[in-house]
Amino acid sequence: MKVMVCLKQVPHQDARLDVNSDGTWIQEDNIKFEINSYDTYAIEEALRLKDAGDAEVVVVSIGPDRVTQALRTALGMGADRAVHVNDAAAQGADALGTAKILAAVAKEEGADVIFTGLMADDDNASAIPPMVAELLDMPSATGVTATEISEASIKVERELEGGALEVVELPKPCLIAIQTGANQVRYASLKGIMQAKKKPVDVKTLADLGVADSAGHAHNKATINKISVPAKGDTAEILEGSTDEIVTQLVGKIKELGLL
Amino acid sequence: MGTILVVAEIQKGAIRESSYELVAVARELAESGGHDVNGLVIGSGVGDLATDFASKGAGKTLVVDDVSAANYNVDIWSKAIKAAAESTGADLILIANTPSGWDVAPRIAAGLDCAFVSDCFKIASLDGNGGNFVRRVFNGKLDAEVSTSGKTVATVQPGATAAFEGSSDGGTEALSTDLSARASFVEIKLAESTGVDLTKADIIVSGGRGVGSAEKFPEVIQPLADALGGAMGASRPVVDAGWLDHPYQVGSSGQIVTPKLYLAIGISGAIQHLVGMKASNFIVAINKDADAPIFEVANVGVVADLFDIVPALTNALKAAKG
Repeated sequence: MKVMVCLKQVPHQDARLDVNSDGTWIQEDNIKFEINSYDTYAIEEALRLKDAGDAEVVVVSIGPDRVTQALRTALGMGADRAVHVNDAAAQGADALGTAKILAAVAKEEGADVIFTGLMADDDNASAIPPMVAELLDMPSATGVTATEISEASIKVERELEGGALEVVELPKPCLIAIQTGANQVRYASLKGIMQAKKKPVDVKTLADLGVADSAGHAHNKATINKISVPAKGDTAEILEGSTDEIVTQLVGKIKELGLL
Repeated sequence: MGTILVVAEIQKGAIRESSYELVAVARELAESGGHDVNGLVIGSGVGDLATDFASKGAGKTLVVDDVSAANYNVDIWSKAIKAAAESTGADLILIANTPSGWDVAPRIAAGLDCAFVSDCFKIASLDGNGGNFVRRVFNGKLDAEVSTSGKTVATVQPGATAAFEGSSDGGTEALSTDLSARASFVEIKLAESTGVDLTKADIIVSGGRGVGSAEKFPEVIQPLADALGGAMGASRPVVDAGWLDHPYQVGSSGQIVTPKLYLAIGISGAIQHLVGMKASNFIVAINKDADAPIFEVANVGVVADLFDIVPALTNALKAAKG
């Protein structure tokens, strides 16, 4: 069985977010990047299938040279191979264009199961996974917190509101977008990291994948024109002073509420 | 000019509030741009609900009424919405960003090979050649203005707009479409009751990722909750990391709470958390990052290291109580 995991490298959750010079995204120079948190759970879910049987796990990412680091981390965790789509034309592609690239990779790979994260920590869009499934004409489920695999299908639990879960069964091939907290994500071991150095990373361009005429920023149907710090509405009254002064004010507020 | 298709969602036998919020968005755009508004209702035994939807703002409403659509199914919804989009020639298809909405909406855009915008809270304009949308990115820390070209599928953040309360003309019309599905619904599992019921607490002290580790909850957060006679809660990253169990989670996928006093400690304020606590009577936020979105819903904020403030506050409260 071939399992593909799509992963995105995103700015570190604690990275400084400064708007870039043309105001359309954040300044990405000199900030730390990491694997999107949702995707780490997707990698773990795939590796569990590998641990349980004969699955080959292929990790795929789109992005510039820095993305190699994220792929090496996933290989260090235990993935078998990596595909790195490294093409300037893919930079700034919209969700549908990005989905077309990933679908082309999945087709080449002949993936039986595709795991992704539910969304990315940077654009929070939750758009690409169902698109990839639609382009490949396979069923999909998003926000998945548990999977149970059998020969021909996968039973999944999808998170709904208020802690309720929806149980759905999908025949293979299918795509599953994993919610955070679905499992306990492993770390790359030292041995894993050493082994990862010998594992293959195939570098591809959009032309290699046959999507140069349909995907990439030149074909965008949705474009970010402006990024800005949200206008503050009725923002909080900020308490100032030393720790003691602040604490005194807080105790005063709680007293006023009649809760002390 | 064009047509806006509004996809309704049924929950517990009624059309959801978020569907009428979509109607409000559609009606506002329709008024300024001269668009038509059409509805789509998918379900089983939903004729009356569809008639209601048609007369309460959605206008002419297409109905997929079949026993196979009794529960949400990604394949059926995907086919029905694509068929409705084609039959109405819609330029804009609106779907609420709920667990069903985000599951199906991107498939529609991919199937129609058109633009997609996710979880927007404002649609600034719509004309014959696309629209302008505003959404939050980076967990609520930044806004992004997105423009689309051509036909567009957009999901809208629930609660971003007030629900439509007017009326409209327009009957219902059955939409025939292929209802075969590969995905099969098995069951809904309701949340287990665990004894931690934050919805009844008058005071909740919640910790977030900024608390840093599992050990700090009994050391720092619980003592403050105890000093106030309140309950301890947490944001999603805390539960995801296994620091606390799911019953402590406040937010859209956890508990929705409205205590008299809510203290958010080391919580930046991702939308999914804010949804769960912003209706609290009084909110105090303590966070190192002055730009954290939590300060927008808080009544009182402290921009400082929680490990300085919280133990001192706990001691002061104990002293005040004597």
